Amino acid sequence: MSSLLNMNIIIPDVLLLLFPFIVIGIRLFCDFRSKLPWRIANFGFIAIFVLLNFIPLASGEGRFLISNWKVDDFGVLMREVLMISAILGMWLSKDYFEHGADGKPQMHQIAEFIGAIAFATFGGVTVVSACDLLTFFLGLEIATIPMYALTAWNKKDQLGSEAATKYILMGSVATAFELFGFSYLYGFAGSLHFSEIQQAVAAGTSPLLWLAVLFLFCGIGFKLTLFPFYTWAPDVYEGAPTPVTAVLSVTSKATAIAFLVVLVFGPLAPVQEQIAPFIALLAGTTLFVGNLGALKQSRLRRFMAYSSIAQAGYIMVALLGPATMAKTAIIYYLFVYAVSNYLAFFVFGIIGHHREETFASLRGLSKQNPGIAIALAISMFSLAGIPPLAGFFGKFHLFFSGASTGHYAIVAFAVLNNVLALFYYLQLIKSAWVDEPDGHLTPLRLTKRQRSVIITLSIAVVIIGVLPFLSNNIFAGFNY
Amino acid sequence: MINDITLSYLIFLCPLLTFVVNGLFVGNKNAKAAAVIAVALNGISALSAIIVAFHYFASDYAPQKAVLFEYTFIPFAGDLVAKIGMLVDPLSVMMLVVVTFISLMVNIYSIGYMREDRAEGRFFALLSLFSFSMLGLVVATNLFQMFIFWELVGVSSYLLIGFWYHKNSAVSASKQAFILTRFADSFFLLGIVLVSYVVGSFDFSTINSLSMAPFKAGTVNMGLLEMSRANALILGSVLIFTGGWGKSAMFPMHIWLPNAMEGPTPVSSIIHSATMVVAGVYLVARLFPFFTICGDTLTLIMWVGAFTMVFAAVIACTQKDIKRILAYSTLSQLGYMMLALGACKIHMIVATTGWTASTFHIFTHAFFKCSLFLIAGSLIHQVHTNDLDAMGGLRKKMPVTYICALISILAISGIPPFSGFFSKDEIILAAFQGRHYVVFGLTLLTSGLTTFYMFRLFFLAFHGEPRHEGVKAGHVHEDLAMTIPIAVLAIPALASGIVGKKLFEEYFVIEKLHVPQLLKLAEAPWLPFVAVGIAVIACAIAWLLYASPKAKIQRALDATNRTSLYKVVYNKFYFDEMYYAVVRQFIFGGVARVARGFHDIVVEGLLAFAVWFTHKLGDLVRTAQAGYLPFYLGTLIVGVLIWRFFGQLPL
Repeated sequence: MSSLLNMNIIIPDVLLLLFPFIVIGIRLFCDFRSKLPWRIANFGFIAIFVLLNFIPLASGEGRFLISNWKVDDFGVLMREVLMISAILGMWLSKDYFEHGADGKPQMHQIAEFIGAIAFATFGGVTVVSACDLLTFFLGLEIATIPMYALTAWNKKDQLGSEAATKYILMGSVATAFELFGFSYLYGFAGSLHFSEIQQAVAAGTSPLLWLAVLFLFCGIGFKLTLFPFYTWAPDVYEGAPTPVTAVLSVTSKATAIAFLVVLVFGPLAPVQEQIAPFIALLAGTTLFVGNLGALKQSRLRRFMAYSSIAQAGYIMVALLGPATMAKTAIIYYLFVYAVSNYLAFFVFGIIGHHREETFASLRGLSKQNPGIAIALAISMFSLAGIPPLAGFFGKFHLFFSGASTGHYAIVAFAVLNNVLALFYYLQLIKSAWVDEPDGHLTPLRLTKRQRSVIITLSIAVVIIGVLPFLSNNIFAGFNY
Repeated sequence: MINDITLSYLIFLCPLLTFVVNGLFVGNKNAKAAAVIAVALNGISALSAIIVAFHYFASDYAPQKAVLFEYTFIPFAGDLVAKIGMLVDPLSVMMLVVVTFISLMVNIYSIGYMREDRAEGRFFALLSLFSFSMLGLVVATNLFQMFIFWELVGVSSYLLIGFWYHKNSAVSASKQAFILTRFADSFFLLGIVLVSYVVGSFDFSTINSLSMAPFKAGTVNMGLLEMSRANALILGSVLIFTGGWGKSAMFPMHIWLPNAMEGPTPVSSIIHSATMVVAGVYLVARLFPFFTICGDTLTLIMWVGAFTMVFAAVIACTQKDIKRILAYSTLSQLGYMMLALGACKIHMIVATTGWTASTFHIFTHAFFKCSLFLIAGSLIHQVHTNDLDAMGGLRKKMPVTYICALISILAISGIPPFSGFFSKDEIILAAFQGRHYVVFGLTLLTSGLTTFYMFRLFFLAFHGEPRHEGVKAGHVHEDLAMTIPIAVLAIPALASGIVGKKLFEEYFVIEKLHVPQLLKLAEAPWLPFVAVGIAVIACAIAWLLYASPKAKIQRALDATNRTSLYKVVYNKFYFDEMYYAVVRQFIFGGVARVARGFHDIVVEGLLAFAVWFTHKLGDLVRTAQAGYLPFYLGTLIVGVLIWRFFGQLPL
């Protein structure tokens, strides 16, 4: 009976692993115009997401399948975040396979594209399920490698190829750091397994451990776009196709932050207090640099790159808190961030289909397409953390988690930075709402899918904010 | 009582509903509907208030206090809880009736008066907002609630004075009224903070049942100085009175009230004569037991009231603007009410007749003054000017208005059996019984002045030859919607004194005081005769000057051959000019300039620097982002090194 239960909770993972093979496999057998792979992909992703919701939460320690695959509350909720990101990313990408956008040609091979997203998602799932260093590292790589491919998906676009080259080169160095850190950690603890490493860390520290910590954080700093490892992000976000940028900014970031959560509250839990200043420094510098960089951007995706760098800094603040509170805050914020960010990207996507993706293209949006302008304002205000939108409560929990262990300085700094952030988010809203319309801009048209997704996401952002108790299951999951 | 509680909710909710419905939905679209809604709902409110009052006074429960409902609003520390509730006692019930009834009359009147205004709907919405705030004020169970509604009343007054915001004078008058009363209110708030801190409660019942003895011990640290708790209470009582000082436009904070006449006349009639301006008097009356224990505060109140009374009456004798005469008359009458409250205190003893007299005068004054303003509005509506120069001879054209005006003027002059006689007589008696003989003399003098300026207005407006082309040509008629309220209000102006006298003497008594009361009061049966005699003489003088066949009205109105004393009075003792001088030279020129300089140089400078610095840093971040791969790879290595040395890891 218990083995059956165990089997149940792993079904979504197995499905997710098989899923890309099915989608790509089916494409081999049908016409390249066929919509079958797209439909199956939709069905599969949604089914997996629904199945995830059936996994009971509040299960304490989590359940082990084989010795190195664990399903706990944090893991389940992270899976849901990743699946939401994958589904929305897939929907966002669909239009780019029908016609070109933002001066880039049309993309091809949607089945493979979705497969790559699924692989990346599975990588994230592996990270949150891992119980030893090897699986952990594998998960991170599985999550990263499809991203390289996705960045260069548009083969005819030279900028994309350039971005992908930068990405893969820098990613390799980061991976090397990561491996170096893991090897030192192994050398320090004498074991690959998290629980044993934790015991070893609790027993006493040595420079070996701190070197490992330094390199692990620097390596993951690349993925999480921490200062000063973020330099790839603006170029890659700009060069990659828009849906890939969106997936990068949510899935990749969620995976990276999950990696840190697992690390800090798992093997490194006994020394959390000692690495707290380091985390605070990383958080502070990152959010400051991200905010500064975003100040005078004119290209939307570059702007979003800096915005997401800053957001990574905010999320880092929560890592300073006690385990339960930090996990809750981070999960909640990732949900909110995913929804708000995708809402912004959908709006930018629509603009990109007809115009250039720049601030200037937003001018007079409120008069031409008030609906889109409202959606844009909602997403920007949410990202900026203005009550009563979801982003406010998300940030509140992040900061609360940081403050609950007495790290007031970094929380105060983050709050101050939020003012800076408000400045550039407002600039975007100003373009859409205040600036006079430009007659030369092509009018915007929305497909049915775009409209329904934008409406749903806008409502979600507002509702989560106005009725924060709706997300109670997140808090209940941690007995919070 | 359940029925009464429901009714008591209705009293408030109807005006609030009117405000919301008219303000948000109906007002802009359909002015007619807005007027109907306003009249209907305010009618319900007035009816409920009258029923509640009837039930209350008919029950055995009568002079006691009751709290009909109370909700916690903000719990501060411990027992200090701000509540919103409804207090029922003779005073608040009387005010409920007055406010709702006057409000109903004014709403009906406004149908006629505002008929061609472009923002009629907004007017009705704001008027109901005012009623709601005023009702909340009079039933307040505690200082905190009172302050909330006090400010709401101020806001609605501001909005209504500046209702014709296209007129510059209206805008500046509304600003003046708001700023001046806000200035006084800031002291009020300080007083509330101080008293509630010392006493530990906002509740009127607690504050009113204090005795000074327990406060002799202990001190309060107020930052700059330390004072005993007893003195702190006395200071608090003066501060609280300052709120009423401004709101009731007592000298020298009186200048806003005459200028507030820039608002539409119905507004002047409800806000600046009958209800809002008596809030200050009401505040003192409400906290009367508290004021009695607070040293000489009541004496201060008496002198402020007495001075305002004479001062305003003198000015009123010279004015030409009909509304301003009434405004100064209002000031003078408010002075009467204030001094009656203050005159209760005789050294350490208290005689409570003044309190009864004052509340009685609030009651009667509301009707006849409201009526007078409505009449003034009617005249202005017909002759299109406020100036008495241009009126005259309106008696035949507006007979109903004429009779009602006569009733109200006889009432304010204190001629029996009109209402004002009874209440004013009691006030004069109270001053006499309080053994404040100087003030007593002033009240008699002012009584004469009042009669004089009211009859001056009356004769100049209604008698003599028409001086206005429109009146001569016969374009003047009485508007139905405007005349009905005037006629209705004439009834209480006539009868509220006789009917109310018994009621007030029986129920409007202060029960429990922590100071000795003077039980054996001086009798003065001759007093009414003296007062009436003075009034009759004043009336005769007015007749001689302005209405007798021999009177040279042209000469009386001529502004050129005046003595300098007359000019000083006519220019209101140059008080407006003094205010402007102080405000311009001292506040704008001195304090504001320094503050502005500090802001421009220091604050703006720091801000500009912060912005500049942030932008420079932003430029730095963007310059680093040159797209040059070796540099990017370098950052990875450098990053590790940076965090190796600065990451605060114990390496």
